[in-house]
Amino acid sequence: MKLPKLINAIFLLFVVSTVTAQEFKLGKVSVAELQQKVHPKDSAAVAAILYKKGTSRFIYDKDQGFVIVTDVENRIKIYKKEGYDWANQDVFYYISGGVEESVVFSDAVTYNLVDGKIEKTKLKTEGTFKENRSKYSGHKKITLPNVKEGSVIEYRYTIKSRHLSFMRDWDFQEEIPVNYSEYVTYIPEYFVYNVRQKGYILPKVKSEFIQGSFTVYEKERDLVSGKPSYSTFKKEYQEAKTTYVAENFPAMKDEVFVNNVNNYMSSLQFELAMTKFPNESIKPYSTDWNSVVKTIYEYDDFGPELNKTGYFEEDLKSLLATAKSNEERILLILNFVKSNVGWNGINGYSCDNGVRKAYKEKTGNIADINLMLTAMLRHAGLKANPVLVSTRSNGIAFFANRTAFNYVIAAVETDQGNILLDASSKYSSPNILPLRALNWQGRLIRKDGTSEAVDLMPNTISNDNVFVNYTIDPTGKIDGKVRRQCTEYNAMVFRNNFESVKQDAYLEKLENESGKIEISDYSRTNEKELLLPTIESFSFTGSNLCDLIGDKIYINPMLFFAKTSNPFKQEVREYPVDFGYPFMDKFNITIKIPDGFTVESLPQSGALTMEDNLGAFKYHIVQNESVLQLSISHQINEAIVSNEQYDMLKEYYKGMVAKETEKIVLKRI
Amino acid sequence: MKNLCCALFFLIFTSYSFAQKNDYSILKISDSLKDNANAVVRFDLTDISILSQRNMVIKTDRAVTVLNEKGARAVNAVESYNKRTSVKNIEAIIYDAFGNEIKKIKKKDFKDVSAADGATLASDGRYIYLEYTPISYPYTIVYSSEIETSNTAFIPRWLPLDNYFVSVEKSIINVKYPNTLGFRKKESQFSVFDIKKTDETDTKLSYSAKNILAHKPEDYSPAFSELYPKLTMSLEYFNLEGIDGNAKNWKEYGKWFSEKILTETIVLPEETKSKIKALVGNESDPLKKAKIIYHYVQEKSRYVSIQLGIGGFKPMLAADVDRLGYGDCKALSNYTRALLDVVGVPSYYTELYGDSDLRDIDEDFFTIEGNHVVLCIPDKENYVFLECTSQNDPFGYQANFTDNRKVIVIKPEGGEIIRTKIYEPKSNAQISKGNYSLDENGVFSGVINITSEGSQYGRKGQIERFQPHEKEKHYKDYWSNINNLKLGRIAFTNDKENIRFTEDVQLTASNYGVISGNKMIFTVDAFNQNSENVKRIRNRKNPFQIQRGYLDTDEIEINLPAGFSIEFLPQNYELKGKFGEYKTEIIKNDSNKLTYKRSMFLNKGKYSNKEYDEYRLFMEQVSRNDNAKIILTKN
Repeated sequence: MKLPKLINAIFLLFVVSTVTAQEFKLGKVSVAELQQKVHPKDSAAVAAILYKKGTSRFIYDKDQGFVIVTDVENRIKIYKKEGYDWANQDVFYYISGGVEESVVFSDAVTYNLVDGKIEKTKLKTEGTFKENRSKYSGHKKITLPNVKEGSVIEYRYTIKSRHLSFMRDWDFQEEIPVNYSEYVTYIPEYFVYNVRQKGYILPKVKSEFIQGSFTVYEKERDLVSGKPSYSTFKKEYQEAKTTYVAENFPAMKDEVFVNNVNNYMSSLQFELAMTKFPNESIKPYSTDWNSVVKTIYEYDDFGPELNKTGYFEEDLKSLLATAKSNEERILLILNFVKSNVGWNGINGYSCDNGVRKAYKEKTGNIADINLMLTAMLRHAGLKANPVLVSTRSNGIAFFANRTAFNYVIAAVETDQGNILLDASSKYSSPNILPLRALNWQGRLIRKDGTSEAVDLMPNTISNDNVFVNYTIDPTGKIDGKVRRQCTEYNAMVFRNNFESVKQDAYLEKLENESGKIEISDYSRTNEKELLLPTIESFSFTGSNLCDLIGDKIYINPMLFFAKTSNPFKQEVREYPVDFGYPFMDKFNITIKIPDGFTVESLPQSGALTMEDNLGAFKYHIVQNESVLQLSISHQINEAIVSNEQYDMLKEYYKGMVAKETEKIVLKRI
Repeated sequence: MKNLCCALFFLIFTSYSFAQKNDYSILKISDSLKDNANAVVRFDLTDISILSQRNMVIKTDRAVTVLNEKGARAVNAVESYNKRTSVKNIEAIIYDAFGNEIKKIKKKDFKDVSAADGATLASDGRYIYLEYTPISYPYTIVYSSEIETSNTAFIPRWLPLDNYFVSVEKSIINVKYPNTLGFRKKESQFSVFDIKKTDETDTKLSYSAKNILAHKPEDYSPAFSELYPKLTMSLEYFNLEGIDGNAKNWKEYGKWFSEKILTETIVLPEETKSKIKALVGNESDPLKKAKIIYHYVQEKSRYVSIQLGIGGFKPMLAADVDRLGYGDCKALSNYTRALLDVVGVPSYYTELYGDSDLRDIDEDFFTIEGNHVVLCIPDKENYVFLECTSQNDPFGYQANFTDNRKVIVIKPEGGEIIRTKIYEPKSNAQISKGNYSLDENGVFSGVINITSEGSQYGRKGQIERFQPHEKEKHYKDYWSNINNLKLGRIAFTNDKENIRFTEDVQLTASNYGVISGNKMIFTVDAFNQNSENVKRIRNRKNPFQIQRGYLDTDEIEINLPAGFSIEFLPQNYELKGKFGEYKTEIIKNDSNKLTYKRSMFLNKGKYSNKEYDEYRLFMEQVSRNDNAKIILTKN
């Protein structure tokens, strides 16, 4: 797989340069800021972050140990009414064991310019809300008073968290322009974090070391008197101060065919790599892929779950009793898990219920299902391992990071390469994964702790082969037959499309989307035979498919299969185009023209190809007396097309649409 | 004693459920109930006991067989609760297709979440619901719940059939009430199904319905609640979020709401009062005063959804809105009312359904309903309604959300049902004027001026506020018939005074004229293709409705490329019928200049199911003629 330019940008970590922090302070809103009517660099912006400043410090608390205190100041300009939502802010908090992380909003003020003077309206308690959304998380919210077009709002919030294993992300980009964003972390020498920057544009970074200290209280009991005595001592340590500054970052925009726009947003992610407290041995969390996977493997709800076998042994024995080959075993086990354990819709690479309970209750999360699958495959003597995955909606796992993944599948290593399996989807089969799991690369973990990257993007072409055979009558009415065969991913998509749709409703939709034809003799083959291509065939009549102009008949030979508009309408493309999988659409069309008519003109045969073997379009037409034969194919060989190739792709589609909309002209003899 | 009562009640109740112990095997479901069904309600028993004006207990026992993924929502195993409504009991048992028990789910295993979603900032409502992952279909869930509430103002409606694609074997409702609270009920559309009233005295009421087949939704249908049976119930003496009330009709409700809920909510600080008086100045015309104030509110405030306690029904104090500059529909409408009061313009708080579909408050039967609030200002014989949550709408603009429907206007002397403004089809106008040229390669370049009024104003007005990429997308969708479209200059004029929105757009496109051999073919109507795709529906059952109607007129000048002559021009075309009128005309000005005129008038109206295909064919004729092509030959 070819990785687009994105990756290069991301590996340019820590561009060290001199950073001078700008002077911003809450409360110092200027008349100029209030007077500004539009954002100077983005006149369409509904609002803008004038400045956002955050610090995270580790404070030693004698009861709790180190606590991360994050303090954020924000000043936002509202330009338009559509930007009013920026005056409602919320910050989530975790709840663990009934204890909430502390989130406190303060200094929230709205500024307006009234008759040339600055008017301040402070937020009171009536505008603050707290909501426990579930047992695990809640939100603190504020809504600022007196907001109008032109207002500037400010607020501060402070989060105190004991969750040292992961600090919160810091986003430098938003849906609105960010004029200035600064984030400073003070991290004591006892903690080492992996810091990851992602996005197309990166902030400036400056690092230095400073001295930090905390005070420890100790209580001792006099051995003779039993009286307690207190002593305190001050502990000094080194602290890494890192300052990140982003200036004038543009607003994020969403586009079509993007798998997840957040992949391209400029932000920082932190992950605890290790702790090294004085007089204690170093405790690694994750620093590279090997230690990441080792850490994950050692989690109670991961590795040990793979070793449990007792719960299924009996069932598996009878299931595999007559199996002859490994291929057969793989299929039997995959189908067994699919039909016995339902996916509860929850992602995750750690088990929720645990495999044993999931098996018994017939429901579980992704890890419950696919770790169970892996364990069964191993038990059957196959070389099976789990593969960590980040789903499309979760974004790409760019870095060695245990929080980057949210999904797991199984892989069987064979001489012909890996066979990837996911038992959470009804229509998945060996090497055909649900689309959610198709996201660049996964990480395969072996028992011995080694790991390797696994390409998740499909390389094989998914076909859509359509055979159409029709006759035109002198009134322009068309009678014909269609046979459509889909393979691989196209077959999966096809199966998903008619899942739990009544045939009647499916046909009604198909008729309406196909130029209002009337369909009869409909049949489907291999609906449930997942390893075979799906086949759909039907007869149709259509009275709206030709134009009768004068005594001529104009007809698009591809009928309703023609692509009539270019999906790529944007002039400039910011992010790569994601097709999901490589594919080929192929049409074989036979047309019988009516008696008493002859061909006046035909579209010319032709072909289009893209550079780098990205794709090709072929259009071939021949006439044999009153029968026309067409063969048309459209093939895209890469699942992901970089934005640098966008113009070429757009031109290709333009050429294809132009060709596919050309008409045959028939005239009366 | 009270406890004992409860215990007794519980005993009776449980023995009843045992008596209900059914065979949930799917083999027991008749085939006709499976037609078109994603789920089959095996039985649905609702027991409502109104114990006093401030106490109501609702018990539900329901068994639903889910046939496929889409049927899961028919289980409806969810209850909402808050400070005044508690969930006493909730549980479910799951059976496989053969009726064998798979799993029991207790209250603690239900999910418990806040009702505040992304759109609501704060709410003290919560939901408790069942989340179940099926391993195979079909399966059956037997669900039971018991909730207790003091909110007797809201007696749940009984809909024996409550959604499409669901069939019902049996549905029963039993209601008990003291004869002193003025219980009332209304049956609507009961004749559609076989519904039996099994009991009715002055303290109790029961109905049962059997074997209701599944129905499919059909485009352009009236609302579900207008098509299928519904029992609505109401008390004359009720309690609303802790406040006792009494009303047996809309008039009394209006009086009570004025006196008990709205009273003292419109007090404003003196400073604001004098500011508003100064703002209005010497203006004496009430509507002009109202216009000044409406504009003031639009500039000053913003919409924020807050649903806390009685705040779900009672507006925030006007003084608070004045200070904070935000509020929900109730708060902003009532605040506007307060400001109007300062300058002596009477106005009334008005409850209704805000929806693009026309939806009435039931004039003949009072029960608290509606989902939105606007403000009503009398204008001689008529009324003007103000949407106070919008920062952009012109004064009195209602199309597409609150137009043409019955609403309850709350006057101090009593409530009154009034129909809101009707947007007549001819006033929903779009006038397009422009021209386009084709060059010898088929490249299109054009200029167009589009003016939209009436209900079409509302759809277009928002483009002005789009981000550049949204604007581009809008036009590329609007002119999806023009491939390879490139937009040039775009300008808007939004005349809020006359409610008229004007777009001026320049555009170009390659390959608009398709060249085959020595011919060029193109569609005459480039700028306004009929976009309404009326689906073919096999065997339509429901009547259908066109809610608003419109009138589009286009006049486009076409410049043909030099060096070509016309081989074929489409004929002028006219289509007239009950649904509307459509007309196109091509005038040849000289050898390479044409004028294309098009007008399309769609009437509003209600029609029977039989007329649907006629309508589809009418629109199909329009689409086909909109696609008429000109053929040119190279000289």
